[in-house]
Amino acid sequence: MKLLATSSSKAPVKFRMPTADNLVPIRLDIETEGQRYKDAFTWNPSDPDSEVVVFAKRTVKDLKLPPQFITQIAQSIQSQLTEFRSYEGQDMYTAEKIVPIKLDLRVNHTLIKDQFLWDLNNYESDPEDFARTFCKDLAIQDPEVGPAIAFAIREQLYEIAIQSVASAREIKISKKGRRGVEHFPASKAGGNALDLMKLFRYNSSVVRKRKEWDVYEPIVDILSNEEVDALEASEERNTR
Amino acid sequence: MDISQHDANSKPNRSGGPVFELYTIPSHSSWFRWDDIHETERFALKEFFDGSSISRTPKIYKEYRDFMINKYREEPSRRLTFTQVRKSLVGDVSLLHKVFNFLDKWGLINFVATASDDTDKLEGITMKDQVRVEQGAPNGVRVGAMPNSLRPMSPPHSGGEGRMVDGENGFKLPPLASYSDVFGDLMKLKRLKCMSCGEKCDSGCYEYSKGSFIICVECFKNGNYGEDKSMDDFNLTDNNRINVTHGSTWTEAETLLLLESVMKHGDDWELVAQNVKTKSKLDCISKLIELPFGELMMGSGHGRFSPDGSTVTTNIATHGLMTSSEHQDTKVGDQVHEKMNKTEQNGDAASQEPPAKRIRITSLSDAGSSLMKQVALISTMGGPHITAVAAEAAITALCDESSCPREIFDDNEEAAQINASETKEASSLSGSQETATENNDIPLTLRIRAATATALGAAAANAKLLADQEDREIEHLVATMIETQLKKLHCKIKHFEDLELIMEKEYVEMLELKECLVAERIDVLQRALSAGVSRWRDHTFIKSQNDRIV
Repeated sequence: MKLLATSSSKAPVKFRMPTADNLVPIRLDIETEGQRYKDAFTWNPSDPDSEVVVFAKRTVKDLKLPPQFITQIAQSIQSQLTEFRSYEGQDMYTAEKIVPIKLDLRVNHTLIKDQFLWDLNNYESDPEDFARTFCKDLAIQDPEVGPAIAFAIREQLYEIAIQSVASAREIKISKKGRRGVEHFPASKAGGNALDLMKLFRYNSSVVRKRKEWDVYEPIVDILSNEEVDALEASEERNTR
Repeated sequence: MDISQHDANSKPNRSGGPVFELYTIPSHSSWFRWDDIHETERFALKEFFDGSSISRTPKIYKEYRDFMINKYREEPSRRLTFTQVRKSLVGDVSLLHKVFNFLDKWGLINFVATASDDTDKLEGITMKDQVRVEQGAPNGVRVGAMPNSLRPMSPPHSGGEGRMVDGENGFKLPPLASYSDVFGDLMKLKRLKCMSCGEKCDSGCYEYSKGSFIICVECFKNGNYGEDKSMDDFNLTDNNRINVTHGSTWTEAETLLLLESVMKHGDDWELVAQNVKTKSKLDCISKLIELPFGELMMGSGHGRFSPDGSTVTTNIATHGLMTSSEHQDTKVGDQVHEKMNKTEQNGDAASQEPPAKRIRITSLSDAGSSLMKQVALISTMGGPHITAVAAEAAITALCDESSCPREIFDDNEEAAQINASETKEASSLSGSQETATENNDIPLTLRIRAATATALGAAAANAKLLADQEDREIEHLVATMIETQLKKLHCKIKHFEDLELIMEKEYVEMLELKECLVAERIDVLQRALSAGVSRWRDHTFIKSQNDRIV
C-alpha cells in the first residue's frame, strides 16, 4: 500500500486553492483622509473583473465611506486577484501534505486560539463548513466569527500553496540535472508539513495522548470592552 | 436514506467486563460491528480504502470511528460535538468531520442525545463548551476556571456542595442518611445527659424551666438540683416526649416499635398507633409503606418473606416457613451471620448495625426461620461448613470479650442441642432472646467487632476454600499433563517398533531376493557349463560376476 501511495499522488497538480471552492482570500486595509477601512473576505476568481468595481462601489455606499475609497478598494482587490492568477498556471505538490493550521484572531469581542491539521491534498475540504461547525459547537453568538475563521484558514492555505509552488519550481530546476524518482515532497516542500510516515505508521495510534488534547483544543475568549480597546491600540502601534 | 428512528435496536457491545451496557442505535445501523468494517462504511468513506495515502488506511479509519463512538458513549445523554473529538485525533479535520457526520447520520453517535438545536443548546451544552457574552465583569479581572480552557463568565453553581462548605461555622452533617442515623442518635443521647451527676438520662429527665439544665430522675429524687434551683422549677420530660418529633421524622426506636406492633396487631392500626405512642395512625401507615418491605407486611401480615437479605427487618417478617434440616448445624451461627450479612451487604454497615441488632434481639419467634433463609444465602457463597466454622470462631471471639454474649450464645447452643424439633427450637430461641433483651445494653463497639470478626472469618474461610480448590485443580492439571506426555512417548515408541518390524520384513525380503538371484545365477552357469563354454573364460567371467553379486 505504501508503494501505491507514492506512485499515484506525487504528481504535481495545477495551482489552485486546495479546497472545494476555489476562493481567494482578499484582505483590504486602506487608509485615506483619516479613515481606515479594514476588511477580509473571499472572492471567487472566476467572477468577471467588472464585478470588482461594482463591489467596491457598493461597499463604499453601504459603509458611507468617502468616494476616494472606491478606486483604492478596487485596485487592491484587483492586484490581489492578479497575483493569485499568476500562480495559476504553475505546478504545486500537495501530495501527502498535512499541515498544521493555527488560528489566532480577534473578531469584535471574541478571541480565538486554535490549532488543527489540514490535508492539502483534500480537495473537498471546506473552511466555511469547518467554521460553521466550530461556531455551532462552541455556541458562538457573534455571526462575524465564522467567516473570519474561514478566512483565516484560507489565508494560511493560500500561503502554503504559494510556498508549494515556489518549492516545486526549485525542484524542477534541480531535477533537470538528474533522473529518477525522489522523495522530495516530504522533506523539501514546506517545512511545517507533518512527517506522515512517522504519524501514520502502522503500529502507532492516531489517537492523541491525553496531555496533548489541550494543545489542540480551541480556546475562545470573550473580551470586555476595555480589553478590546487595549488590544486594538496595541495592534495599531504594531502596524505603524 | 430513510431515517426510521422509531424502531431502535438496543445492542450490547461493551464486552470488556461482565456488565453489558446497552446503547441504542437505529435498526438501520445494525450492520455495525466493533471488530469489522462494513461495506456501508467502505462505500461512504472511500478515501480510507483506496490506498491513496498512508494517512488514510482502514486501520486509521477504525481508530477514528471507535474513538468517536466510545467518546459519545461515555455520556450518551449528552450530544457529542465535533470539536470535542477533533482535538484528540490526529488527521485532517475535514476528513474527521466527514467520519463524524457519517456516524451521526447513521445514528452510531448522538442517537439518544437531546437534539440540541438552537433553542435548547444553551442548556444542553456544558459550562466548558459554552461561550457567553458577558456584560459587566469588573475591569481587568477575569474569572477563570482553568488557565487554558474556556472561561465561564458566571460564577460556578454552588450546588449541593454548599452544605459541606459551611463546615467552618459549625459541624454540618454531610447529607448521608447513614451519618444522620449514627450521629443523630448520639447527639440525642448527649442531650439527655444529666448535668449534675453526669449520667445518661434514659428513662426521663427533669428540665429546668428557667434555663437549659437537665438532671436525671435519680438526681431529682435525691435532691441534687444544682445551685439555686428548687424542686418546683423542674419539669418532668419523658423520654417519649423528648422523642416527640414532627410526624415526618422517625427514629430507629420508633421504627422498631412500629414494626413490632404491626407484627403483633397486623392491620389493626388503632393498636399500632397506640403502641407507637408518638405517631398517629396515618403516620404509621405512611411510614410502613415507605419502608422497603412495608407493603408486604401490610398485605400478608405475617406470612411473607422478602428475599432481599440486606433489608434490616426481614427477620421480623416471616412466621413459620422453616426449611431443611441444614438449620441444625448452622443455627448456632444464625444471629452472628445476620450481623455478618449486614456488614457484607450494606455499604454503611456501621450505621445499620445498631438498629439491626436491636431489632434482632428483641424479635419474636419468627426470627429463626428468616435467619435460616439468610444463612442459606450465605452458605451458597461459602459453603455451610465454612459458615459454621466462621460463626464458631466469631462466637469464641465474642465470648472472650464479655460474658453477656456468652450467655446468649450458650443459651442458644444448649437449646439447639437439646431440642431437635422446630417449634421447640423456636420457643427456646425466643426464651433465650428474651433473656437477652434484658442485656440489651451490649455496647455498640462490641457488636460491631463481633460482626466484623465474623465477616473476616467467613471471608478467610471462603478464601481458604477457594485456595484449596485451586490447589486441587492445579494438581489435577499437572497430572493430566504428565499423562499426556506419557501417552506421547508411548506413541512414539510404538511408531518406532512398527518401523523396526517393517525394516525386518524388508530385510527378509532382500535376503530372499538375493538367494533367488544366486540361484538363478547358478542355474545360468550350469547351463553355460553344459553348453560347453570354455573354462578359462568361465572362471574369470564367473569370478567377476560373483564378485559383483556378493
